[in-house]
Amino acid sequence: MTFGERITRFAVDHYRSITAAMVAVTVTIALFAALPSIWPGKFPFLNPLKVDTDPENMLPKDEPVRVFHNNMKKVFNLHEIVVVGVVNEKNPDGVFNPETLSHIYQLTQYAKTLQWKDPNAPSKTRGVISVDLIAPSTVDNIEQAGPGTVRFEWLMPKPPKTREEALAIRAKAERLPFLKDTLISGDGKAICLYLPITSKKDSYRIYKSLREKIAQIKGEEEYHITGLPVANDTFGVEMFIQMAISAPMAMIIIFLLMLFFFRKLVLIISPMIVALVSVIFTMGLLVISGNTVHIMSSMIPIFIMPIAVLDSIHILSEFFDRYPAIRDRKRTIVEVMNHLFMPMLYTSLTSAAGFASLALAPIPPVQVFGLFVALGVMYAWLLTVTFIPAYVMFIPEASLENFGHKGGGKEGDGGMLSRFLSWVGSATYRQYKAILGATVLIIVVAAYGITRIQINDNPVKWFTKSHPIRVADTVLNRHFGGTYMAYLSLASTTHEDLESFKKGFLARLKKQAEQDAELQGAQEVYGEVEKIFSSVSAPTPAEYLREVAEKAQSLADEAPEEMLDAWDEALNFLDKERQRSEVFKDPKVLRYVEKIQEHLLSTGILGKSNSIADLVKTVHRELLMGRDEEFRIPDTPEAVAQCLITYQNSHRPQDLWHFVTPDYQRASLWLQLKSGDNKDMVKVEEALARFIEENPPPVPLKTQWFGLTYINVVWQAKMVTGMLNAFLGSFLVVFLMMTLLFRSPLWGILCMIPLTVTIAFIYGAVGIVGKDYDMPIAVLSSLTLGLAVDFAIHFLSRSRSMVREYGSWSEAAGVMFEEPARAISRNIIVIAVGFLPLLFAPLVPYKTVGTFLATILSVAGIATLFLLPAMIRVFENRLFPKVQQGLTCKCMTCLIVAASTIALVVVNVYQYINWGVNRLAMASGAALAASFVACFIASRRKSCQRRSQ
Amino acid sequence: MKTKIFAAAALALLLCASAWAQDQTPPVQEIVEKANLMAYYQGDDGKAHVHMEITDSQGRKRKRDFIILRKDKEDGGEQYFYVYFRRPADVRRMIFMVWKHPGKDDDRWLYLPALDLVKRIAASDKRSSFVGSDFLYEDISGRSIEEDTHELAKEEEGFYVIKNVPKAPDTVEFSYYLVWIDKKTFMPMKAEYYDKAGKKYRVIEALEVEEIQGFPTVVRSKASNIETGSSTVLTFSKIKYNIGLKEEIFSERYLRRPPREAKR
Repeated sequence: MTFGERITRFAVDHYRSITAAMVAVTVTIALFAALPSIWPGKFPFLNPLKVDTDPENMLPKDEPVRVFHNNMKKVFNLHEIVVVGVVNEKNPDGVFNPETLSHIYQLTQYAKTLQWKDPNAPSKTRGVISVDLIAPSTVDNIEQAGPGTVRFEWLMPKPPKTREEALAIRAKAERLPFLKDTLISGDGKAICLYLPITSKKDSYRIYKSLREKIAQIKGEEEYHITGLPVANDTFGVEMFIQMAISAPMAMIIIFLLMLFFFRKLVLIISPMIVALVSVIFTMGLLVISGNTVHIMSSMIPIFIMPIAVLDSIHILSEFFDRYPAIRDRKRTIVEVMNHLFMPMLYTSLTSAAGFASLALAPIPPVQVFGLFVALGVMYAWLLTVTFIPAYVMFIPEASLENFGHKGGGKEGDGGMLSRFLSWVGSATYRQYKAILGATVLIIVVAAYGITRIQINDNPVKWFTKSHPIRVADTVLNRHFGGTYMAYLSLASTTHEDLESFKKGFLARLKKQAEQDAELQGAQEVYGEVEKIFSSVSAPTPAEYLREVAEKAQSLADEAPEEMLDAWDEALNFLDKERQRSEVFKDPKVLRYVEKIQEHLLSTGILGKSNSIADLVKTVHRELLMGRDEEFRIPDTPEAVAQCLITYQNSHRPQDLWHFVTPDYQRASLWLQLKSGDNKDMVKVEEALARFIEENPPPVPLKTQWFGLTYINVVWQAKMVTGMLNAFLGSFLVVFLMMTLLFRSPLWGILCMIPLTVTIAFIYGAVGIVGKDYDMPIAVLSSLTLGLAVDFAIHFLSRSRSMVREYGSWSEAAGVMFEEPARAISRNIIVIAVGFLPLLFAPLVPYKTVGTFLATILSVAGIATLFLLPAMIRVFENRLFPKVQQGLTCKCMTCLIVAASTIALVVVNVYQYINWGVNRLAMASGAALAASFVACFIASRRKSCQRRSQ
Repeated sequence: MKTKIFAAAALALLLCASAWAQDQTPPVQEIVEKANLMAYYQGDDGKAHVHMEITDSQGRKRKRDFIILRKDKEDGGEQYFYVYFRRPADVRRMIFMVWKHPGKDDDRWLYLPALDLVKRIAASDKRSSFVGSDFLYEDISGRSIEEDTHELAKEEEGFYVIKNVPKAPDTVEFSYYLVWIDKKTFMPMKAEYYDKAGKKYRVIEALEVEEIQGFPTVVRSKASNIETGSSTVLTFSKIKYNIGLKEEIFSERYLRRPPREAKR
């Protein structure tokens, strides 16, 4: 008795205990997962359900780009921002009419109050950070107030009363580069309020409060609330709706289709139970193990369901076809399982391997997704081989009276499907050349398509076009310079070594002493400074200077009155030395920053950028009578410093530190992109790199990107290479498994053909249609692999046994296109159609998955049913040799297995070990040579020779 | 008839109320006036070296050094200020000058040596930052007591606590502020500012008081912005009163040519 038979027998004999065990396990897991969420805190040893909708988490927490991003957020005091766009298209003055502005004022005042005590840390406040809020009533205006007079005031201290006052606000804001296209739109139709918040987690609460307030305001203007934190939160909510509606809907459709095919309600409930229980089991374990429900893991049920149902459909289909002939449920199921056990085991193992390979992608949510789907698939297999036979035993024989295929599994009954399949069967036998030719053509076209694939993603585009978030995004990006923020950090990397600093310092000191020679006591004072300088020791120029300055100051404090002027000059000299490191006061550097901005703006991707250079230029202009030609960087660092200190005489001096650090060694450039598409961010990144290469900075500067728009690019790049790795890895695993299953590399290759064609077709189509290669598309490659190979395994293993039974392929082909082909076709139809409801989802990733699942299954099914028989026809003699030999006895087979094993190991380990390409190639070459020798010796051994004779 | 009775009752009530008010008002007014003189009008003139250290919420420090000259025209009335910046080196010789006119807008000037530019600053709003610190212009030159109504909120050991409510609430960002005034010296020792939502957001404290030439003088004070987490400490040294500063020093002419007294 084989292993499979033993399991089936056991299941059939102990069907009650099997069912009880399944129920017990399911209930336990469901309880463990649900309890801590229903009664939080009561079960400290269990993990409650955690939802994570933050795209940032596509990267591990310690990923350098994330660490840098968070560090820069702290350094520049930047926060997550909720954006409220107010648009008035009805009034000819746009939003600049007294009524709308008074509404905006009210809303701003209200937004300032959206703060509350942190329940976990009562000393901390959460919610809107009111000091950093950007609104007409919270930002400063600087302007001319008569000859020689400059005025600093709030842009809109209170709502205007007249049309003139309202329009004046627009005129003022338009002159301020950091407000235009950020706070107010160029066309005057819109104003954006920026509400920095303490934590992304609070955005939903703030969003809701704002919505309530807006409902009370009742103006003619429209309000749009957006910003990444809001998008994330909304996505989380929608995700649950999706899981609660789409997945069950898919189940219902699968159920109805099965009912249509098998017409026996009582029987088709079993696959539904297998699917449901597998999903509960997997998601339960996901929660219990403390993993978060992320956009990726929320798709686990949708992936597990079709695969879980797949095997059961094979069983049912065959049961349906054979029962009428045997008319004994126990004998039928045992016979069916006997046929299907190995193919099912292998299909499940291959699917699981495909998904488990995602663990190779360096993106934590994808890893979790892959591993748990693999787990779910294997659990579904276990249920299929135990619970399905057990379930059949529950059905009274009498109720199966009219069940089953009338033909008893041997001949077609003339149904549409059967007629179609028998036509396919004969066509593939006769027209095999045409089929192979068509396949080659498809592959060529697909290869062209693949070269045109656009790698791109945009979390905002995860919402459908009509979704309020997408609408807000479109409207606001039409009116403003762009709402997608990316930041560039520019840091001075001048690290003068101590020796050259000392030399330079002494030379400059000497010069200064000569300049001040006329001051009373200058010689003595500068002599003292030089003495101090040589007595001090410190590791860096900065610390050196600090110590010198401190000592000099204490000497100056005790100096006699008449020497004070000299001391003042000397101390001032020391401070000047300190300020040499403040590169972002240097006009050369600021003009360079200005040029970077101009260059990036010329790409047309960003609508706007802000930097310290803009602040300096604006203040400079207003200090010099507001003349437009004075909108420039002044010529000395002192003039820059004095413009900046003037800027800081405002109501919001802290704003400066969003653009530069107080030591003036690091600055940030704010870019507003019109699109959050990764490809656009990449273009900006490349434009900067080119610019810097062609125009080296005047002082050594290090540029580094941060901001969510950039982080998305980083994880996407990782996703693409990671997925490719994962795909290669799983391809090799599946090939190895197939070679072992069929004990022949030729069969292994044959198995891989339908899925290779399917994947080529799918990704070729993605390239030709112009659909972006995004996160769901990337993940689908492993699903394709898992599902497409399923059909091939079933088809080939049945073909092999049919050929054994009937003697030749020409005899077996006809039979193959009866019951076995019907099972495959039913599978294709059930699952393809079953996932169409996903097309109505409000979230694009689910739509993509729905569309592609249907397409993948159809293509894989067609490839299997047409291509495999045609290939078998061509390679019949090689595929069905007269003599069967052990795997290790065939030198070539052994070598191919060894080679693919080595390749598999390389694909898996190369990202973890730091070997160069050469070293890796040498190591694999050595391994290959060793295995060649081993295979050669093994195939020449006595036991092999004996058998071949 | 009935209305007459009402009118009489109302009148009686009004008289009582004002009598009670008169009984209490003089001390409050007196406290406030004395405190104002204490804080801003010691001596006829004065000079101090000031070291300013601004510490932001991340603990990053910025330092400034300047000299303040002050001359009063009359106690509690018109006043001149002249602030000469010594450090950082790149803002050296920058000057800020104020002619304070209680009851109306002050005149203010800024001199930027690197641009060789004298600018008048329109005085519409005095509640903006003083050179990027947590002190406001109004804290440096003093908020006119006529701009607020004052009431004695409570008395704490050694202090009168005065609640000050702006007469023109639209022009300021606070709804009221409390000032702790030392009962003995009448020196204001602490001020707490409350925003329109009633939340405390800003505190100014006198950290150290010394008697200099017989005048109690704050030699260290601190302003904290609770919302930004930033704070600024001012340390005064070389304080001198009644040094005979000439009025002409406080003129536009002397912005480009700072007097000897201002420079060290």
